[in-house]
Amino acid sequence: MKALLVCCMLLAAQISPALADYKRNEAVPVEKVLFGKVTSVRHISETELIEDRNHGWKVFGGALLGGTIGNQFGSGSGRVLTTVLGAMLGGSLADDNHPRAKQITIQLVELMITISGGQEYMVVQDFDPTMVFQAKDKIRMVYLADGTVRIDKQM
Amino acid sequence: MKKLLLVSAIGLSLSLLAGCANKTVVKYGDAEAVETTSINFGSTDLQKIAQQMTESLLQSPVVGTVTANKRPIVFVDTVKNKTSEHIDTESLTDSISTQLLRSGKFRFVDMSKVSAVREQLNYQNEGGLVDPNKAVQFGKQVGAEYMLYGNLASIVKTNADKSDVYYKFTMRLMDLESGLIEWADETEIRKTSDKKLVGW
Repeated sequence: MKALLVCCMLLAAQISPALADYKRNEAVPVEKVLFGKVTSVRHISETELIEDRNHGWKVFGGALLGGTIGNQFGSGSGRVLTTVLGAMLGGSLADDNHPRAKQITIQLVELMITISGGQEYMVVQDFDPTMVFQAKDKIRMVYLADGTVRIDKQM
Repeated sequence: MKKLLLVSAIGLSLSLLAGCANKTVVKYGDAEAVETTSINFGSTDLQKIAQQMTESLLQSPVVGTVTANKRPIVFVDTVKNKTSEHIDTESLTDSISTQLLRSGKFRFVDMSKVSAVREQLNYQNEGGLVDPNKAVQFGKQVGAEYMLYGNLASIVKTNADKSDVYYKFTMRLMDLESGLIEWADETEIRKTSDKKLVGW
């Protein structure tokens, strides 16, 4: 049972997180939609320091793995000792190898937009490689009911 | 040692199983079959809107009078998409204009090809490679008499058990000379989906 648990944890560790993107094919409530054109586009990036929320789990996993390996050696009280030492060593190694915070760079796009009525807006949103904006592109400015605004290309 | 071997064997088996599970099977299907993959705007909605709008326009008495002795020239403007979804509205207007054109009652000008046409006429008239007597001259095109345009809006309501999406497509035909709306119609689509906790 313990072995199966270790195995599952090892496999779970290999799964990479999904990339965040806009759900443009999803029907969600909309407050209003404005139509206009892109005046200018500027690609910018923002660096953020992210606290590693999985740190505790990684240390726990390291300790569990170390304890399991340590448990394979010795017998009697010696086995208990190797298990404890293995757990301590595994936890310590996991703690050393996983920094508590990491730096991530977010790609953003700054769009200057002129709406049909003549008003100008500047919108900064996440860069989406599936929808790259250029000057003179016809766009939709979608005000979603959750309070966010998204810029889409008109089709 | 046996346990370590067991762990390795289970891990390897799971990895192999995960690799085998990813199979792709391609099939041809009926392009006009009802599509219920999701509650979002789909091919059935596009076909239904295009068909209903075309039938309504062709059966309208006013349009019957307009097209009685001539084939009016129509310009199709882009459909204003007021939904949250990124819908290919050009495909929708393409379907409508194609069906109208096939009816033989209307003629169309394609504004999306103006720059390509200008480029070709420039080549014919200024490139020096085309016989000037046979080159298509500038200023001979005919202007549109009517403009066809529309709006697509949606109302979405969701709760823990159910999602409801209501689409409304409105279309109008305007006489460009007088500015009068000669024809207008709308079609509605309602789609609901129940969220099941257990499914097969």
